[in-house]
Amino acid sequence: MRVSTADKYNIGVNALQRRQSELAEAQTKLTTGKRVNRASDDPVAAARAERALAGENRVVADERSVEASKSIMVQTEGALGEAGELLQQAREILVSAGNATYGSPERNNLAEQLKQIRDQLLKISNRSDGAGTYLFGGQGASEKPFVDSRPQIGTLVEQGGVRYVGAAGSSMTDVGTNLPLALDGAAIWTSARTGNGVFETRSLTSTSGAWIEPGQVVDPSVVTGDAYSLVFNVATQAFDVTDTSTATVLASQPYVSGEAIEVDGMSLTINGAPNDGETFEVVPSVARLNVFGSLDKAIADLQAGLGSAALSQAVSDNLRNMDSVMGNLQAARARSGEALSRIDNATAQLASEKLHHQTERASAEDLDMIAAISEFENKQTGYDAALKSYSMVQRMSLFQYISA
Amino acid sequence: MAVSSLMSLGAQAMYANYAALQATGNNIANANTEGYSRQQAEMETAPAQSSGSGFFGRGVNVKTVTRLHDEFLTREAAATRSAAAADDTLSKQLQQLELVFQTGEAGLGHAVSQLLNSFADVASKPQDIASRQVVLARTDEFASRFRVASEQLTTLQNGVNQDLKSSVDTVNGLTKQIASLNQQISTLTGSGHSPNDLLDLRDSTLSRLSEMLQINTVAADDGSVSVFLSGGQTLVQGSTVAQLTTVPDSFDPSRFQVAIRTGGVVRELPVNALTGGSISALVAFQNGDLVDARNQLGQLAMAISDQLNRQQSLGLDLNGRGGGALLSIAAPQVLPASANTGGATISLAVASSSQVRASDYELARDSAGSYSLRRLSDNHLFGPPEIASLTPAALAAGIQVDGITIKLQGLVEPAIGDRFRLQPVAAAARDISLAMSDPRGLAAASPVSASTSLDNVGTLSIDRLSVLSPISTPVTDVLLRFDRDPATQASTFTFSTDGGATFSAVPQTLLPNQPITFPVGSSSPQWSLAVQGAPAVGDTLLIRQTATPSSNNGNANAMLGLRDAAMIGAQLDNQTGTVTYSGSSFNDAYAGMLSDFGVRVQTVKAVARQSSVVAESAKSNASNTSGVNLDEEAARMIQFQQTYQAAAKMLQVAQALFDSMLQATSR
Repeated sequence: MRVSTADKYNIGVNALQRRQSELAEAQTKLTTGKRVNRASDDPVAAARAERALAGENRVVADERSVEASKSIMVQTEGALGEAGELLQQAREILVSAGNATYGSPERNNLAEQLKQIRDQLLKISNRSDGAGTYLFGGQGASEKPFVDSRPQIGTLVEQGGVRYVGAAGSSMTDVGTNLPLALDGAAIWTSARTGNGVFETRSLTSTSGAWIEPGQVVDPSVVTGDAYSLVFNVATQAFDVTDTSTATVLASQPYVSGEAIEVDGMSLTINGAPNDGETFEVVPSVARLNVFGSLDKAIADLQAGLGSAALSQAVSDNLRNMDSVMGNLQAARARSGEALSRIDNATAQLASEKLHHQTERASAEDLDMIAAISEFENKQTGYDAALKSYSMVQRMSLFQYISA
Repeated sequence: MAVSSLMSLGAQAMYANYAALQATGNNIANANTEGYSRQQAEMETAPAQSSGSGFFGRGVNVKTVTRLHDEFLTREAAATRSAAAADDTLSKQLQQLELVFQTGEAGLGHAVSQLLNSFADVASKPQDIASRQVVLARTDEFASRFRVASEQLTTLQNGVNQDLKSSVDTVNGLTKQIASLNQQISTLTGSGHSPNDLLDLRDSTLSRLSEMLQINTVAADDGSVSVFLSGGQTLVQGSTVAQLTTVPDSFDPSRFQVAIRTGGVVRELPVNALTGGSISALVAFQNGDLVDARNQLGQLAMAISDQLNRQQSLGLDLNGRGGGALLSIAAPQVLPASANTGGATISLAVASSSQVRASDYELARDSAGSYSLRRLSDNHLFGPPEIASLTPAALAAGIQVDGITIKLQGLVEPAIGDRFRLQPVAAAARDISLAMSDPRGLAAASPVSASTSLDNVGTLSIDRLSVLSPISTPVTDVLLRFDRDPATQASTFTFSTDGGATFSAVPQTLLPNQPITFPVGSSSPQWSLAVQGAPAVGDTLLIRQTATPSSNNGNANAMLGLRDAAMIGAQLDNQTGTVTYSGSSFNDAYAGMLSDFGVRVQTVKAVARQSSVVAESAKSNASNTSGVNLDEEAARMIQFQQTYQAAAKMLQVAQALFDSMLQATSR
């Protein structure tokens, strides 16, 4: 075939340029370390990398949410632990208050100690994380969530005292992580169940000769959830029992001090020597027991200089209350501990998710260095060959032989 | 026989070989001239002299100088060059376009991720101004990335405009040159010799013209060629030229279309008249890819800003007021054709940002007076039963397609032949900007919050309370009380809006995995509530106005939910109004867009590589036939030189003969 000289040179030059641009491309890939520098390099991989990056971004955001929740939950757990210890101290004080040898100075002294415990507990309940979030602020509190105020009229002392002004419920992170950011203060501090959790026994007579124990459920299947009144009749030495919810008069129960009376599956134990007409009441338990109100009642009882039966009743009631609020606080502490364990799981899971996204992105767009280097060397050899052949071809000309 | 005849024979031979050497020299000189065809002196034997003893040759004559040239190969080279130039131009433009849609951290997808993810910190600390400030900064950054991308598209459009103008100027220069060459060639052809250099010049001019536009040529007997566009329009006829020009697009004066001026009338060239060459690639890029890019970008901008603003409006800001708009974007635009004669006004509104397509639409009234509506991205013509008949009354009431509402405003109908270009999203990315300056304005709080009663004994818990439409404050408390259906034992609930004094009469069944909406049965409920667990009889749940919006994070969490929300490219069955595809999330949509343009670039690059190889080989074929080979010329040079030397020797011999004759005759 005939070859035009200019074209021969053109072909050589074009080939050199092509080889050079290929070499430059291979070099770009090597220096950036990326196989996909633009979407057109591999559109599918680019889209995959884009999704992986979005996933990674989200994991980073989720990690921040989890971190925020963790910081709060660690503090919450600590605060509840401290509160539990304080309540334990309060309980010990209440137990010692039952000591028959104590006179009113000792009881006043104990009351003072309880007051201090109450103050400390209030501080704990209003504790913030130091950055504006109240640990027990629920779904939002712009001010301290607990306000020390007089109980509302008509409310029992142990159900009042300190009022919760935050929003009920827990504040959560988004549904993806779904971890608590602030626990519901109302549920933890002001909503322990009254009585033994099913019913509450109360002594309604102020000058009493007997006291009633918290009682217990012996047959849950017949518990009605109604309110009852027990009125002592000296003549029959028995309690007249009335279901006040349905206004039904039930069978009278003969009274022996310290022996249980059974009413509708509830076992009620009354001690002492009741006066005629002395009334006890059994009401369904409600979730209204306030930590501070319980302490307020205990303090008031200690300072009231009660008589023996009333004192026994008070000590019994206050211990019962204390156990209930402590139980409630412990349950909350368990919940925050459970949240922390979920946080640990979430952290581990997010870390592995992040790694997954990073691997995914890397596998989509990163360069296989070994393959790339070998390809680069390949291109280099090609370029070298093109240079050599060009220089050899351009040297060959008939004019060189005919120069006379 | 005279000695003089031998002398003249030698002289003629010398002249002829000198001429051949001259042609060789010219070839060597033009070895590297683009478009030069090698020439050779054609020799012929001079007519013989008749004598008694037969015919004596009278030497050689130079007949003419011809160029070695293959018409077919030249035309083939020009045509392939045309295709290669088109692919190359499109490839370059698309590679520029690709840069607008960056991947990874520099991309729009990352900016949106960052924006939405920044709500995580606000959700953790709703009252923290710093995290709110970060959201605003990220939003600003996101908006500016969109604007930059849109500006880049405008820059590309301006580049196309410039290129079109200068290409059209070049074409006009080339056609003028061809016309004048035609004239010269037809004049010189009469002389009997072919004007080789002019022919070469015309061929290479035609080849350069092919690079701009695909052309057809027809040669005339007088040596001139006529040039036609592939659509049949005459560019050059003999020595007359039809000039190309650019005219502003009839809808959008910021872009230009190619037109031809014939007989003083300027007519826009139909798109199919331009099939090859860089001009057609520029027009195709401008009318296709660039429009697609602008619309896809606009679709993203429209969807995300609408979703963010909507979610803002559902929440409460730090001051306890409904959230204001976070981003502002340009409204959909309607561009009437410049040739419209009627005074009708068409309005365009976006009814559902997630259903809006990345496309322009065209509403036209044809010569028969009836209307047509066309989606330009896939050239889909709307008609019954998909939409109701396009009557003026229906248009005045508003036509809904693809999530947009088209409405004829007022009573003036468009004139016959009027056309309107409807652009729902084309301008959205251009003007997107942060509309909020006060970080306190971010609506992180939900206007309502739900809480279960502390007296509940069941395992009921709140999964998620979502606000669905803006709720004005003060909000009436809604109390839900759960019960059990005596027949089916299924959980039911009733509502109370007066604090529990009266409850709704008909209990609703609590269905698993189906949220409770309020008001019940409303087509646009205020909120929906997803619950978990089983409520016991008498358990209650209270939904009330959020007491402290400053520390509530309900709406910030909903903003985070937008990361997964299907917000772009939902498809609507226009006939039934049902959504057939709920769309994709922003990141998926952006990744899809990225790979769409990636594939376009990848494809056109491969095509361009292919067509450039074809063009190179066609050019190589042509130039191998007509180009100069220096070795060949060297050989010819020696050949002619030796013949020349032989002829000169002959002259010497003739002279010696003459001299000896003179000596013999002189004494």
